[in-house]
Amino acid sequence: MYFHVYFQKIRRAGVAQLALALLLVLAALLTGGIFAAAQAAGDGAPPPASAPDRDSPPDLHGGQGVESDPLAPFNEAMFTFNRKLDDWVLHPVASGYAYIAPDPVREAVGRFLDNLDVIPRAMNNLFQCRLAQAGGEVARFGINSTLGFAGLFDPADHWFGLKEHPDDFGLTLRYYGVPTGPYLMLPFFGPSTIGDTAGLIVDGAMNPLDYLTPWYVYLSADGGWDAASALNYRSLHLNQFEEADRYAIDLYGAVQDAYLQTRVHHLKELKRGN
Amino acid sequence: MRPRFGIYAIMRNLLRAAVVSAAFAVVAGAAAARAADDPMEVVKVVVNQALEVLRDQRGPLHDRQEKLRRIVDAHFDFTTMSRSALGYHWRDLDAGQRADFTRTFTSFIQDSYLSKIQDYSGEQVDFGRATQPDPGYAQVMAKILQPGKQSVPISYMLKQRGGQWLIYDVTVDEISIIANYRNQFNRVINRNGFASLMADLKNKQRQLAADLGTPHAHD
Repeated sequence: MYFHVYFQKIRRAGVAQLALALLLVLAALLTGGIFAAAQAAGDGAPPPASAPDRDSPPDLHGGQGVESDPLAPFNEAMFTFNRKLDDWVLHPVASGYAYIAPDPVREAVGRFLDNLDVIPRAMNNLFQCRLAQAGGEVARFGINSTLGFAGLFDPADHWFGLKEHPDDFGLTLRYYGVPTGPYLMLPFFGPSTIGDTAGLIVDGAMNPLDYLTPWYVYLSADGGWDAASALNYRSLHLNQFEEADRYAIDLYGAVQDAYLQTRVHHLKELKRGN
Repeated sequence: MRPRFGIYAIMRNLLRAAVVSAAFAVVAGAAAARAADDPMEVVKVVVNQALEVLRDQRGPLHDRQEKLRRIVDAHFDFTTMSRSALGYHWRDLDAGQRADFTRTFTSFIQDSYLSKIQDYSGEQVDFGRATQPDPGYAQVMAKILQPGKQSVPISYMLKQRGGQWLIYDVTVDEISIIANYRNQFNRVINRNGFASLMADLKNKQRQLAADLGTPHAHD
């Protein structure tokens, strides 16, 4: 009876999300394109294309590959922005929070937030026809929301051996062979690609709050939830940047490659049925 | 993996790569380079010897570091690592530059691992299986078991050289360390040239060497 209203809301919310996504991607492409053009005009020849060196051994990366990065100028600006945001806001606040709340409490909060993320996890497992894993996610949510005190604990894993199967729409796209496009460093959200960013938006659109509450409620709820997740995660890993920087020659390149390698590996595991 | 705040997840992986690589350093000692014809045996020897050095906290730190360094030297193929970390830029270098880079990168990697000696907190290594993707190459899978935390998958890539199996890359949390450095090095070379990379690398290595033996704050 109320379905038509519901669907209307979905459509409206969907359009808003999509418009936002398009704008973001367009902005990224434009900025990246302009900078790249300016750079190419500026310093002449682009770096030579990578050709394999036959004496070199293979690695899991498939040889001599270097990550391509046509949006580098935009990405680097966003990387700097994210680090500043971290220096000035996230790290200080996370330190204060870590000072007040002991580790086990923050770990429980992390599990609580993660538990709420069940819909995209289950749906994407479903999209990839991983029925057992999709069902497992639903069962985990049921068990952990009840026996696990609203997800603060994870009895589904400890008592029932039900492991989490992380999945997202960016992986679904890759799973079906959609090219993931250039690497993209998002402000606030961190490393991504064009395809993974589209996935992020689709996954975000699976939040039922978006369709059941007015925009100012769900937008602030989504934002607050994301900020809480970031803060909680950061509070559990306070020395992260400092430590990674100790062993990195070029931190941007290290993060970029680690992100892309991790995504490629995750896809491989999905295809292998794990 | 949740792509949200991926930067943190990635940083964590990178870090685990660094922190856990005590097990990379996990390469061990002089005596037992015997089992050189079986990659799994080589890795086991290396890991077990290194774990022994890490566990036995008697004796001056410097001596323990020396022991670890000998283990690493005996079982790691630093030439292959260096070449692979430079990718196609290797071909553009003359013999002197190659030697200079190999020397510096070797010290850098060694010091990265030696600096882990203070961070060891009872991790165990559980060996998985070994595969040979190509003749002359092998991959040995293992897991680092951390008390009270999730285990970290690690795998050793080996190459046969003169009848001996030598480690030329390690992946931690599915991130190939050498491929990760290759991306970093290529970025630096493409922007600022090889000399600049050498300067950065030497700086970092000196910093690591100066910090050897200083405990690190970490999560």
